[in-house]
Order: sequence, then structure tokens, then C-alpha cells
Amino acid sequence: MGKVVGIDLGTTNSLVAYVRDGVPHVIRDASGDALVPSVVSLGEDGTFFVGREAQRRLLTAPSRSVYSVKRFMGRGIDDVRDEAALLPFNVGGQPGGVVRIGLDDREFTPPEISAFVLRELKQRAEDDFREQGEFDFEVDRAVITVPAYFNDAQRTATRDAGRLAGLEVLRIVNEPTAASLAYGLDQRDRGIIAVYDLGGGTFDISILKVEDGVFQVLATNGDTHLGGDDIDRLLVELVLAEIDGSKDEAAIGQSAAVGRVLPSRPAEEIQAIRKAVIEAKLDLTEAEEAEIRVETLAYRRPITRAEFEQLIRPLVERTIQPVRQALADAGLEPSEVDEAVLVGGSTRVPLVRRLVSELFGRTPHSELNPDEVVALGAAVQADILISGRREMLLLDVTPLSLGIETMGGVVSKIILRNSTIPASGREMFTTGVDNQTSVDIHVLQGERELADDCRSLARFKLRGIPPMPAGLPRIEVRFQIDANGILSVAASELRTNIAQTIEVKPSYGLTDQEVERMLIESFEHAQADVDARLLIEARNEAESVIHATEKSLRRPNFAEIAAVDLQAGEQERIEAALDAVKQAMAGSDRDAIRERTHALNHATQHLAEVMMNRGVREALAGKNVKDV
Amino acid sequence: MAPDPIPARHVPTLECRNCGAGAPVDEHFCPQCSRILALGRHGDYFSFLGVPRRLTIDPAQLERRFRDLSRQFHPDYFYNASPSERLASLERSSYLNDAYRALRNPISRIEHLLAIEGLPPAKSEGSSAGSGQTVAKVPAGLLEEVFELNEQLDEIRESRESGTDAAVLRDRLDSARKPIDLKREEHERKVELLSAQWDQQLDAGDAAAKRATLEALRERLLERNYINNLLATIDREAANLEARADSSVRL
Repeated sequence: MGKVVGIDLGTTNSLVAYVRDGVPHVIRDASGDALVPSVVSLGEDGTFFVGREAQRRLLTAPSRSVYSVKRFMGRGIDDVRDEAALLPFNVGGQPGGVVRIGLDDREFTPPEISAFVLRELKQRAEDDFREQGEFDFEVDRAVITVPAYFNDAQRTATRDAGRLAGLEVLRIVNEPTAASLAYGLDQRDRGIIAVYDLGGGTFDISILKVEDGVFQVLATNGDTHLGGDDIDRLLVELVLAEIDGSKDEAAIGQSAAVGRVLPSRPAEEIQAIRKAVIEAKLDLTEAEEAEIRVETLAYRRPITRAEFEQLIRPLVERTIQPVRQALADAGLEPSEVDEAVLVGGSTRVPLVRRLVSELFGRTPHSELNPDEVVALGAAVQADILISGRREMLLLDVTPLSLGIETMGGVVSKIILRNSTIPASGREMFTTGVDNQTSVDIHVLQGERELADDCRSLARFKLRGIPPMPAGLPRIEVRFQIDANGILSVAASELRTNIAQTIEVKPSYGLTDQEVERMLIESFEHAQADVDARLLIEARNEAESVIHATEKSLRRPNFAEIAAVDLQAGEQERIEAALDAVKQAMAGSDRDAIRERTHALNHATQHLAEVMMNRGVREALAGKNVKDV
Repeated sequence: MAPDPIPARHVPTLECRNCGAGAPVDEHFCPQCSRILALGRHGDYFSFLGVPRRLTIDPAQLERRFRDLSRQFHPDYFYNASPSERLASLERSSYLNDAYRALRNPISRIEHLLAIEGLPPAKSEGSSAGSGQTVAKVPAGLLEEVFELNEQLDEIRESRESGTDAAVLRDRLDSARKPIDLKREEHERKVELLSAQWDQQLDAGDAAAKRATLEALRERLLERNYINNLLATIDREAANLEARADSSVRL
């Protein structure tokens, strides 16, 4: 058996954590960075880039680079058409089917794109385990988090993504609940906790009761389309409106309200603006004033925090209603909440903090890094699952009611929202026509009365009903929501005790066969993916050698060094080797890049020694032996 | 859901799928091999939770019981177990969650009690088989109030259409609501009284007296539905008034 990790698969960034000696740790790269941008980019030569590298390509190859794919998980093209119009990459799909993302001449579903991010995290964790000298470093299982307000289709899509990445998904855990587990580690006292989670793309509020190590969710609510992305979009629209000459502030506010489609501009420009506004937004967390600077468009604009807050206030205030609803569902007043906890990068925005303080009448907790706390909690849950430790137990709820369509398109609810999971429900069916041998059932999720206003989860056909007069068969359909919040259905005819076969057609998901096919394809691509990774590694190594060499060559006293310490022609040899590596970097021949990198390394070996000796001499100059 | 009266306690009706030993229906783990037992067709939330069939329950005690059992059944702890144990854990956890939700709330607690005592509340006693249950009979104790309320609501709707000031109508709606609120309070007291009566009879009462209490409780639940519907109607009318007040502000 391999290793188990906890993964926060975020809209903007993802990260991976695991528990060592009872303490959860986030896995960081060499530079100490834990966040892997949830961006996937297809290179011109067919290689895939994931994370930072892909994020850089948002500027240079926007139409081949996918971000915020989490917004499309488990959704149909009809759900996302407006939003897709704002994105520089191709979003399509059949009406009534899953979203498909076009990259070059290939098509991907959102779970396939997410699987790239998951593979990167898996790889990162395996590298980490290997570095620690673990003999068995393979990561084959994971707990993955999702927004609490994700519906069945979105959860299933997340699980599919895990499978496609070669991970057995032990558990889908709600992000706010995971965060509370991470917080619960040191403060194991009892009380009511409100977790306010505003991330890149989603908002969740969960109200929990903690007692004796049991973390019981009382109610949850949220908005799966509200987050930092929306703040960025408002700022991008502000900049675009100004560039286009319309300085009418009112028009900007209005466009935000109705979600007007952005004027068509080159994707490169939109991405450059997006990058600039994100930087300004981050600056405004600490500073009272910042500047939006888009170098390529020669655009500069100061923005004060007051101006920023006025712009985003309507967005932030959209979180109030879900908070009120969750409290009402839990049967609590805001004053009964003992602790409020902030989760998600967008809770760094000062306006958000003020709003949460006002809502609960207390200063919220933010001791743990809001970007990392969910992954830490996922790692804790993974540890509970594999170790069987019973000190802590998480009891979550289903965020949305589950029902079936009945006569006249009305929904009959079978499992109510905020029911503790696992939860089950049953419903009796019969036939309407003599000798009818099958019955169609439409499963829905949502709070509205009419089927058309709820989320269609699946259509089932019950077959094999024994021929009987109409109304006589007693078919019991059992619905089971498991601890992941994912639904399964079973049925039997009670008079004859015959189990019914059920054909599942998920409304906005992948069938098992589709997932299988994708898995096979991903194995076929596995060799190509390994090659791609090796190429990236070779490139990274080459880049660092180039960087170090150029740094030496550019030193102001290099001429003097060359004259004193280098042999005749040595500088020319180094420059030639440097050019050779750069040439190889333009192509994608991994062996050539590595060979020339080694050649450059060899050519600069003497120079490196010279520089190091000089460095030591300089450092020691003026110090006596006793200090050394 | 299972209207059948529960079998006498400690009759072995469950069979352990692991060792084949028999187990009493209210056991959760096999007395022989201590593995988790498949749920079977359990119908009694009280005995499942191991609490007496009383209508007065200490919420803190019930909650502790729920947490204790959650710690025993939850699928988190059966991740490495056999498929049949995993299924049993899933079924028992789901059932526990249903049971706790039903017993935590005093009204759904009564509904469950009626169901397991063979008096499902859905069947209104006046309606013969086959006639639609949608025609809800006005409970006798409410006839006067219902008549009065309907008259007032009609008047208010008429005045609303002819443009009477919203504040005036709101006052009238409030006074129309008062008798129903009083009925509701009276109803709550009766339910509490009957619940206490049932708890006393549980240990000492004879079968006929217990039956009478249960039937009275069932009547109360029908009345409750009716009162709640009346209050909902008044709330809807109030919302109509609010909506009109809003739109007039905008104009």
C-alpha cells in the first residue's frame, strides 16, 4: 500500500498535505511555495504544463491555457455559457451534456483538466516522500476537498478527476469542515463554530458544533459561483472601461451587476490586465493605496482601498444571505456562535474581515494560513481514515435536498438539506398502465418546488417489473447518500421481491464507461507525460545554469576577473557553450538540452571556482583569524 | 415506515454475516465475534438508540447517545473492513442519523411513536379508503376560528385591490392572526399534557388508556397541520402587502 495525502483542489490554487507523527504538514517546493496554481497549459509541441509554468503561459499562450476549471466541474454548457464567454480558452459541449474544453485540436472534460493538477500534486508529494528516504513513496490514495455547497454532480466529477489521476479517492470532504478539523487540533474544547470560506471561485458558510472531538455540521450554505475570481473580473472590467475611454463609473457598476460580456480584446491583453489587477488587489490588503500597472498597454492607474471596497461591496455582501440562512437552519442566533474562522485567500480582503466581524459580533480567527488550512484538514481526515484513530470524528451534512419528479413536474423531497450524512431515504412507486414493465424516475437536487428549477442529477429507468395490473406493483426505491455526499440508488419490487436493474444516466457527469476510456487514454499518454516531465526538468536545470552563468558574466568587475584569473579563450568558450544551450532551449530535444547544459557546466567549472575563491577572500577581508 | 409492532425484545432476529451467530434485533455488534451487524428491517428509533419509548427526552442525553453511536458506526472507522461490514456501517450510520433527527424534534418524535404503535398519522380517521386525502377536514375545535379568519382574509384582499393603505391592512391582518396564535398556544399546551400522560402510562397504564392517549395525540397532530396552514396563509397575505409597499416606494 502506498501513501495517503490530503488535497485541496482549489479554483485558483491547489495544494497537498499529509500527516507525519500526528502533525499535518503542507508539502512545499524547493522555494518554500505550497501553492500549485490550478492552471493547465498545452504546449505547441503537445507537452502539458501545470502550475507555475502554466500560469506564466496564461500571458503568452492564453488560448492554450486553462484556469478556474473548478467552476465547470459537474456542470453543463447551458449553465456556464455566459461565464465561458469571458474566458480566453475554448469552452463548448453539447446542449444538455458536460462542458468540454478545447485546447488546440484536442478536447477535454473538466475532470480531465483537474486530473492534470492532481497528478502534479501527486508527483510533488512522491518527490517529497522520496527525499525523506521513504522506501515506499508512491501516493495512491487521497482525501480531496470540495466546497460544502457542491452538488452531487460536482462531487462525482471531483472523484472522477481523482481516479483519472491514479488516485483512489478515500473521501470527498467539505472545505469548511476540513478547515475546522485543522483548527480543532489545538483547541479541542466545545462550542459553536462558524467557518466562513471565501476562496477563488466559491463561497461556503458552515455552522458546526464541536463536542468531545465530534465535529458535527449543523447547517451549511453557500454560493458555488462567488469568489476572488469575481473580484478580479470587476477590476478587469474597470480597467477595460477606462482603456476604452468610457470613464463612466456608473456604467462599470452596472455591467458588474448584469454580468455584461467583456468587449472582445486579444486574450493576451485580458490576461495582462488580469495579472495587474490581481497584484493591485493583493497590495490593497496591506496598503491604503495601490497602482494597477499594465506595462504592455502603457496603462497606469492608482486605486485607493476605499475605491476598491466600494467596487466590491455588492459582491462581498452576497455572502450575508447564505450566512443568515445557515444560522436559521441551525436554529441559532449570530450571538450564539462562539468562534468564527476565516478560510480561503479572499478572506484576506480587509472588507471581508470587517463584514465577518460585524456578522458574528466577534473578531474572526485567522491564525492558520487561510490558503493552507483546508489541505491540512484534508490530511487530518486522511489520517483518521487509514489509522482508525477515534479521537476525532467529522459528521457532515448534505447541502441540498434530494427529491424526485412527480406528477405535474413537482419535486417530492426525499432527503432534506442539512441532513447528517450518510443519509438514506425511500419512496414507493407503482405503474400507471397494465403490464407496464418499466418506470422512469428523475432525480433532482435543490430547494425549489418545481423540477425545472432544481438540478437534474440523473434519470433512472427501472426495468424488469413483473407484468401486473396498473397500480399493483410496489416498487421501493432506496436513495443512499454516502459520507462523501454522493448518491446511489437501489430498487426492488416488494410483492415479488425482485431486485430491479437500474440504468443510470447522469445528467451532467461522466458515465463509468467514459471514465474507463479516459483512464485507458491517460495510460496511453503516460509515456508522453513522463517524457514531458523529463523535458521540463531538463529545461529547468538548463535555465538555472544559464542564469548563474549570465550573472557571473554580467558582474561589473568581470573584465578584471577575466584578465587576472581566466585562461586565454576561456571566456569565449563559455559564451559559445551558453549560446549552444540557449539554442537547444528553443527546441524540445531533451537530450540536446541536457548535453549542452552539461557542456556549459563543464565550461564554467573553472570560472565557478574562481568566483567562489574571490567570494571567500572578500568575505574574509578585514576580519582576523579569531573571527573566522 | 414499518407500521408493524416491534417484536418482543431479545428475540434473536439478526444473523451475523461474519460468524453466523444470532443476535437480538437491537444489538449493533455481534455478541459472538463483535463485528458490526447488518441493519435488517429495523423500525423503532427508540430501541435503536437504546432510549425508553418516552415523549419527554433530555436533549443533551439524546445527543450524547447519538455521538456515542456515531463513534461506533461511522464509515470512517470501517475503511479497512470487509465489504459487508462497510455496508453495515453505512446502513447503521444512515439509520442512526434518521433516528436522531426524528427523535430530537418533539413533533416528529410523536409522529414516530404513532407509527410504531400502529397509528400512522397520515390516515385521517374520517376518510374512507380511496377518497383523496387532500380534502382536509376542519378539526372540530377550529371550525369557528377558521370561518372567522376566512371572512377577514377575504375582506383584506378586497380592500387591498381597492387600494386601502397597507399599514391599515397590516393592522387588520395582525388582529385576524391573534385568535389563531391563541389556538396554537393552547394546542402546544395540550400536546405537552398528552405527552406527559403517555410517559406516565408507559410504565403503569393499561392498554386501552394508552391507546386513547395515542389517538388523542394523533388528533392533535392533524389539528397542528391545520393551524400551521392557517398561519402560513396569513404570512403569505402579509408578504403580499409587503411586496405592494415595496413597489409603491419605487414609484
